Amino acid sequence: MNAIQLSHINKSFGDFAIRDLCLEVPSGTICGLVGENGAGKSTTIRLLMGALRPDSGSARVLGTDVSSPEFRAVKEDIGVVLDEAYFPESLNAVQVGRIMAGTYRRWDQGRYDGYLKRFDLPLKKQFKDFSRGMRMKLAIAVALSHQPKLLVLDEATAGLDPIVRDEVLDLFNEFTREEDHSILISSHILSDLEKLCDYIAFLHKGDLLFCEEKDRLLEEYGIFEDSRENLDCLMPEAVVAREETRYGGVRALVRRDLAPAGFRMEKPSVEDIILFLVKGAKNR
Amino acid sequence: MKALLMKDFYTLWRQLRVYLLVMLVISVFNGSFGNIFITIWAALLPYTAMAYDERSKWDQMAAMMPYSTRDIVVSKYVMGWLCTAAAALFAMVLQLLQTVLGSPLAAFAPVDNLMGCCASLCVLAITLPLMFRFGVEKGRLMMFLIIFLVCGSAGALSSIAISVDHTAGGLSGPFAALMAVLPIAAAALTAVSVPLSMKFYARRQA
Repeated sequence: MNAIQLSHINKSFGDFAIRDLCLEVPSGTICGLVGENGAGKSTTIRLLMGALRPDSGSARVLGTDVSSPEFRAVKEDIGVVLDEAYFPESLNAVQVGRIMAGTYRRWDQGRYDGYLKRFDLPLKKQFKDFSRGMRMKLAIAVALSHQPKLLVLDEATAGLDPIVRDEVLDLFNEFTREEDHSILISSHILSDLEKLCDYIAFLHKGDLLFCEEKDRLLEEYGIFEDSRENLDCLMPEAVVAREETRYGGVRALVRRDLAPAGFRMEKPSVEDIILFLVKGAKNR
Repeated sequence: MKALLMKDFYTLWRQLRVYLLVMLVISVFNGSFGNIFITIWAALLPYTAMAYDERSKWDQMAAMMPYSTRDIVVSKYVMGWLCTAAAALFAMVLQLLQTVLGSPLAAFAPVDNLMGCCASLCVLAITLPLMFRFGVEKGRLMMFLIIFLVCGSAGALSSIAISVDHTAGGLSGPFAALMAVLPIAAAALTAVSVPLSMKFYARRQA
């Protein structure tokens, strides 16, 4: 079963539109949603949570149509962390816990208290006095404390220091040890996604350019770094995008299946692939 | 809905402490007008909660949680009703105490408080849909209408109440007519207002 299934979703806002978005996140996997600012990541998350109505197309999450009345009960199984933790500013962590205990039927107060301790969050300090990192940690604690099956994370690790970020990524990894647990995470920190994800989906100006298994993606492309003459030996379709290096050479993302056998290339990172793909899309 | 009411209560708690103090002063020194005024003023408290929600973008978070549109909208009405009932009760107890203590400012008249409650429900029913439609920030102009409704209805009710001798046998005249009309108006307006607010809220979210 797919944890998330978006089929031919269209949503227009005048100057921006999500076009024919089809995205599947198999149950038990972690999918990273990548894209520039304004690519449509947050809109996609709002669409799949039923917070926005698409102009056309359908969305199913954990097997339920998000536009159906039954989806409200399914939200019990979904932990969401948005790009900001939008709790009212005058609340403190204890009050947030009490409110969430009245919101989620499977709220686990012990687990919540454990996360507050683990993240070193103050109990009585008002939310408005929290740093961004503390705010995100509180939102993550809430999302993980009602026994969700799916985590939807929109820039959840932004603003966290590297040590806490690493700890949070471990938490997310721990979460997916249960075979029916899945995560959709959008992030600008591509190294986090490379560490965490099984699938990478790339949104560019409202279009989903690809959604592929991370390992297959890394096998599909290679990084070429040498002279321009050597690169020009390749057929043009093989070169996705190129850039000049400081030493007069070129660096390029190359499709391995279109390059001749034995052509010397290095293994790319997800960041390399995404940056070159954006560059390639802009040049087209 | 309990969770949403709890959130609003926590959010309003600081504001409520100031409100209680103001209520005490107005109720003690302004007799019949004060009683009715603080009861109708209590209907404004949900707007403060809505302003806090809007500033923190709580609605975006709430849309991700298992709350229905109905829960979110009705919780604001319930908050207004609870605040109104609490204010009316508080004013009545204060006036009763003043009466028992023989204060010359005492104006114990539960019927006035009940009429104040009905007027408060009318104010809520008229203004809440507009707040859900435009939001608190954009709806600032609406505040003039709200203030006019609050002060106007409190003034009108109190002047009618003062002109009536509640101890005389039976009520007649404009106050008796108001007693019959206000509860019906409050119920009818609320019955129209809640679905309208739900429609406006859903449209703003989509």
